[in-house]
Amino acid sequence: MQTYLQFAVLGLGLGAIYIGLGTGLLLVHRATGIINFAQGAMAMWGAYVFAQLRLDGTLMLPIGSIDLGRRPTVAVAALIGLVTAVLLGLVAHYLVFRPVRNAPVLAQVVVSVALMITIQALVVLRFGPNNIKVDSILPEGSWSLAGIELSSREILMTLIMAALSAVVWAYMRFTRAGVATRAASENERAAVLMGFSPDRLAAVAQVIASVLGTVAVTLGSALTGLNPENYTLLVVPALAVLLVARMESIGIVVVAAIVLGAFQSIIGLLVTKPWWPVWAQSGFDQIIPFAVVMVILFVLGRRLPSRGSLQTVRLPDVVIPRLRLVPAVVLAVVGVAALALTSGSYRFGITTSIIVMLLALSYVVLTGYLGQISLAQGAFAGAAGFTLSKVTSNLGVPFPLSVILCGLVASALGMLVALPAFRIRGAQLAIVTIAAALAIERFVFNNYSLTPPEGNPIAAATLFGINLSVREGRDLSRLSFSLMVLVIAALLVWMFIRLASGDTGRAFLAVRANERAAASSGINVRMTKLIGFGISAFIAGIAGCLIGLSRGQLSAESFTVFAGLQVLAVAYLGGITSVGGAMVAGVLGPLGIVYVLLRGVFDLGAYYPLISGLGLILTAILNPVGVAGATREQVAWVRRRLSRGGTAEPPPVADATPKPKEPSHV
Amino acid sequence: MPDDVLLETRDLAAGYNGVPAVRGLTLSVGPGEVVALLGPNGAGKTTSLLAMVGLVAPLAGEVRVRGEPLGRRKPHQIARVGVLLVPDDRGIFFGLTVREHLRLAGRKNDPSREAQVLDSFPVLRGLDGRKAGLMSGGEQQMLAIAKALLARPKVLIIDEMSLGLAPKIVQEMLPAIRDLARADGIGVVLVEQHIELALSIADRGVILNHGRVVLRGAASDLLRDRHLVEAAYFGAEEFASENDDKTLAV
Amino acid sequence: MSDPAGRGLETRSLTVRYGGLVANSEVSISVRPGQVVGLIGPNGAGKTTFVDAVTGFTRCEGEILLDGVRIDALAPHLRRGSGLSRTWQSGELFGNLSVAENLLAAARKSGWATVVRDLFGRRRAGAGRDVVDSALAVVGLEDVADTLARDLTLGQQKLVGVARALAGGCEVLLLDEPAAGLDSMESQAFAARVRSIAEGNGSGQGPGILLIDHDMSLVLGVCDVVNVLEFGKLIFSGTPAEARTDPTVVAAYLGAPVEASHA
Repeated sequence: MQTYLQFAVLGLGLGAIYIGLGTGLLLVHRATGIINFAQGAMAMWGAYVFAQLRLDGTLMLPIGSIDLGRRPTVAVAALIGLVTAVLLGLVAHYLVFRPVRNAPVLAQVVVSVALMITIQALVVLRFGPNNIKVDSILPEGSWSLAGIELSSREILMTLIMAALSAVVWAYMRFTRAGVATRAASENERAAVLMGFSPDRLAAVAQVIASVLGTVAVTLGSALTGLNPENYTLLVVPALAVLLVARMESIGIVVVAAIVLGAFQSIIGLLVTKPWWPVWAQSGFDQIIPFAVVMVILFVLGRRLPSRGSLQTVRLPDVVIPRLRLVPAVVLAVVGVAALALTSGSYRFGITTSIIVMLLALSYVVLTGYLGQISLAQGAFAGAAGFTLSKVTSNLGVPFPLSVILCGLVASALGMLVALPAFRIRGAQLAIVTIAAALAIERFVFNNYSLTPPEGNPIAAATLFGINLSVREGRDLSRLSFSLMVLVIAALLVWMFIRLASGDTGRAFLAVRANERAAASSGINVRMTKLIGFGISAFIAGIAGCLIGLSRGQLSAESFTVFAGLQVLAVAYLGGITSVGGAMVAGVLGPLGIVYVLLRGVFDLGAYYPLISGLGLILTAILNPVGVAGATREQVAWVRRRLSRGGTAEPPPVADATPKPKEPSHV
Repeated sequence: MPDDVLLETRDLAAGYNGVPAVRGLTLSVGPGEVVALLGPNGAGKTTSLLAMVGLVAPLAGEVRVRGEPLGRRKPHQIARVGVLLVPDDRGIFFGLTVREHLRLAGRKNDPSREAQVLDSFPVLRGLDGRKAGLMSGGEQQMLAIAKALLARPKVLIIDEMSLGLAPKIVQEMLPAIRDLARADGIGVVLVEQHIELALSIADRGVILNHGRVVLRGAASDLLRDRHLVEAAYFGAEEFASENDDKTLAV
Repeated sequence: MSDPAGRGLETRSLTVRYGGLVANSEVSISVRPGQVVGLIGPNGAGKTTFVDAVTGFTRCEGEILLDGVRIDALAPHLRRGSGLSRTWQSGELFGNLSVAENLLAAARKSGWATVVRDLFGRRRAGAGRDVVDSALAVVGLEDVADTLARDLTLGQQKLVGVARALAGGCEVLLLDEPAAGLDSMESQAFAARVRSIAEGNGSGQGPGILLIDHDMSLVLGVCDVVNVLEFGKLIFSGTPAEARTDPTVVAAYLGAPVEASHA
C-alpha cells in the first residue's frame, strides 16, 4: 500500500503538467474554438530556453543565439523563459491561428499540427535530438506522512499548477475580459454586437495558455529531462483531461489531471508485478488516455460544446477525376524511366516517394473526399506492416495474398476507429485518432514482446519465381522491387479513380458537404463513413506493407505518430483533394526524392522537417487547395485565356465569402 | 434636420454571395424616435439590420451614423460607436448570470444607469445570480434589452423581439422601450412580426416585401389603414382582386 | 381525415419536446397523394420542427405513417428510401457538386455493393442522366445541370433542392419554406410548379406535397388544405378560403388588434 501511495505521488509530477497543458487547451478552445495540438510543443520551447541558459548561458533564439557570458541565476533564466512563452503565444496567435479563425475545422487542425511539427523540428535543430538535463527550480526532498516518505517536489509542483489554474479560473469568472471570453465562446456574434473584439480576447488567451504550459513543462522537465518528443506528445493525455472536463470546467481539469497522472504512475508500478502479462508491460499507460477519450466521446458525444464562429470558409473543391489513357501512359512511362535510369539512394528515394504518394492518397480519400480528419494513418500503415511480418515469417503466407490480407487488417482497424466518427467530427475526431495512433505506437510498435528491438523481419516477396526483394548483394535498391511498388501504386490509383468517379465518390462528397442533406437524400451517412475509413486505411495499409518490404523488416521508427503527421503535412501541402496532390505529396514526402536531393546535393536533410512544417502552415493559411489545386487553377486560367483570346479574368483565388446565414427558427 | 438623424441608410442593398436580399432601402431614425420595419418573412428585414451593424457588407448604398459613413468598420467597432443590435436569438449567453451580463454591458461602472434600466425591467432585480439559460423567454428578452440599454446606445436595433414570446409579454415590454428611448433620446429600429403591437408604439412604419419597400408612413396612418398593410403582406394580387378601388402606395 | 386506402403521409399526435419546451404539441395532419397541403404559422410556431420530426431529424412522440406503415423508428435515410422526401429552408445543396451530381447523389444507391460495382462494373456514359433531366425538367432548370450548386442564385438553389427531393421518385414531398427569398414573379412561377408536381406533370397522380411557407399568397393560392400552427399547436385546418376569413388565423399572423387599454 505504501509503495502505491509513493507511486501515486510521483505521478503528480505528470499530473501537474497535465494541469498546465489542459488548462491552456481549455482557455484557447473557449477563446478561439481551436484545439491547439501544438500546446505541448509550445510549452516545451520556453523550458528549453530556460534549460539552455542554465546549462551554458546561451539565449537560444529560433535563428541565432545570444551568449550572455555567464550562466544567469535560476530566477533570471526562468523569467527569460516566461518572456519567451509570452512572445511565442503572441506569434502563434497573430501569425498562425488568427488567419484561420474562420477557416474549416480541418484547416485549423492542420495548422496546429503544423505548428507542432515546426516547433518540434526547430527544437531538434536548435537544441539537439537528445535528452538534456534541466535544473530543478523546486527543492528536492521528502515529506513524511504517517510514516510514509513522499516526494515533496511533485506535491509542490501540483500545488503551484493548481494555484495557477485557479488564477485562470478567477480571470474567467471575475474580470470583464474573462467573462467576455466565456460569452464569446458561447455566442461570438452576440459578443461582437456588444463591442468586444474576439481577436484581442483570443490573443490574451493564447499568451496565458503558453505561459501556463511553459511553467508546467519547466517544472516537470527537472524530473524527466527534456527531449523533443516527450513533451510535444503530452498534449494527448492533456486532451483526454480536457474532454473529461467537457472543455468547460477548469476545476475538473485539475482533478482529472491529478487522477490521470497518479493512475498512470501506478500502472507503471503494476506492470512490473509478476502476475502482469508480459505482452502488456510496455505502453500500457498510454492506453489509458485513449480509453478515456473513447469513453468520454461515446458517452458525451454530441453534447460536448462546440464553438461556432462568425463565418465559414469552405473546404477546397474536388474535381472529379477521369481515367484517361494518354496521361496514364505518360505517367507510367515517366515512372518506369525514372526508376530505370537511377540507382542506389536516388532510386530508393523515388520508390519511397511512390509509397508516400499512397499514404497521401489515403488522406485524399478520407479527408479530401469524405471530409473526415484522421491523424492515425501512419498507425494504420504500421499495423499492416506489423501483420505482414507476422504472416510472412510465422505463417508463410505467399506474396500478393499476404499484402492484400494485411491491407484488409488495416482496413478493419480503420473501420474500428471510424466508430467514434458516427457521433463526432472535426477536431474531436482528430483527438480520438491521435490518441489511437499514440496508443498503437506505444503499445504495439514499441512493445518489445511484440516488436523485438532488432525489428520484425519481413520475408522478401517473390512472384512466379521472380525475386522482388529490395536488395541483393551490394545492390540496395533493386529495380524489380521498385517496379513492383509502381505496379501496386498504379493499381491503387486506378481503384481510387474508379471509386472517386463513381457513385461511391459522389456519396462521399455529399457527406462531406452536408451530412443532414445527405441523410435526407437517402444516403446512409454512417455506412458511408465506414466505407471511407475502410478504403482509406486499406490504401494506407498497403503502403505500410511496402514500407516494410522496402526495409526488409518492420521498425517502429517508420510508423511513429510524427511520421504519420509529417505525411499529413505533405498531403495537405500537395493538395488534399486530388490524385495529383497525392503525387506532389509523394515527391515532397519524408525520405522521398526531394528529401534525398536536399540531403545529397544541398546537405539540408536536417532542415527537412522544419521546412515541411513551415510549408504546411503557409499552405493551410494562404492556399488551402494545395500545390496541385493551385496549379490546376492556373492551368484552367491559361486555357480560358487562350480560348477567349486574352479577355479572361484573373485566376480565382480561394474565396472567403460567407455562406448565407439564414436565421434558423425552432 | 440632418443634425437630428442618428442613423440613416441611403439606397442600401445587402445580401449574400452577391445576391441582394434587400435593395434600395432608404431609412432614417432620429433621437427618441421609434421606426418599425415590417414585412413577411424573407422580405429582407433581418438582412437590413445586419447590414446596419456591419455583419453583412452592403452591396450598394451606405449606412451613416450621425452623418458619418460607417465605411468598412468592423461590427465590434460599430457597436462601440453606439449602434447596438439585439438579434433575433436575443444575443444573450445562457452560461452567464444576469449580473455578468450587466457587467459586460456597462462600459464603466455606472450604478445610476443600471438602477434606471432595472427600474424599467424590475423582474431582473430578483434574478441577479441566475444563469440566463435557466430563465423564461420573457425574462431573457428583458435581459437582452436591458443589457443593450445599459451601454447607453445612440441607436437600438431590435430584431423580432416577440419570437417565441406570448403577445402579452411583448405588450408590456414595448411601451417600456419606447419610454426609455424618448427619455434618453435613443433612436430605435424595430423589426416585429406583430404588426399591431409594433405600430402601436412606433412613430413611423416601413413595410418591406420581396426585398423592397412597398409601403411607408406614419404609424398612426398605417394603423388606421390596416387593409393597406394587409395587402402589402399578403401580396398585391389578392388585394387587387378583392379591393379594386384601392391602390398601393409604393 | 380518414382515407380508407390510408395512402400518403399521416401523423398522429406528433409531439416534440426540447427540454421543457413543447415545440410541437399533438399535431395530427395528413397529406394524400396528389394533394397540396399548406402548413403555415408565425415565426417560431414549430413548422420546421414538424418537418424535422417527420423526416427523422428530431426525436418525437406520436405516430408517423407512410402509406399506412409506421416509419417513426426509421433512420432519416431509410425514410427517404421509403418515399418520404424533403427540402431544407436554406437549400442545403451539396455546394461543391454540380446540379446533376446533386440529383444523382439522391437518386443513386451507395454502399458496399456500390463499391464493388464502381470498381469492377461496366460504366455507361451518362448513367442516370434521364433521372436528372426529368427531375430538372419539373422545375424548369435543365440548362443549369452542369453548374456548381453554390454558383446558382438563391431562387435556383431552392428549385434544385426540390428537384433533388424528387429525383428517384417519392410518395410525399415536404417543402420547407421553398419560396422564402424569391421575388414575387419567381414565387408565382414556383406556385405553378408545385401544382404541376402534385398533378404528376400531366401523367396522372403525383406525390402529395406539404408546403410550408410565409408567403401567404403562395400558400393560399396553391393549397387544397391549409393547416395553421401557433405555439406548436394546430389551431386551424381547412380550405384556403376559410383560412383567409378565419379570425384566429388572421390574429396569429398579424397579431390581434391591440386593445386601447394596452396601448
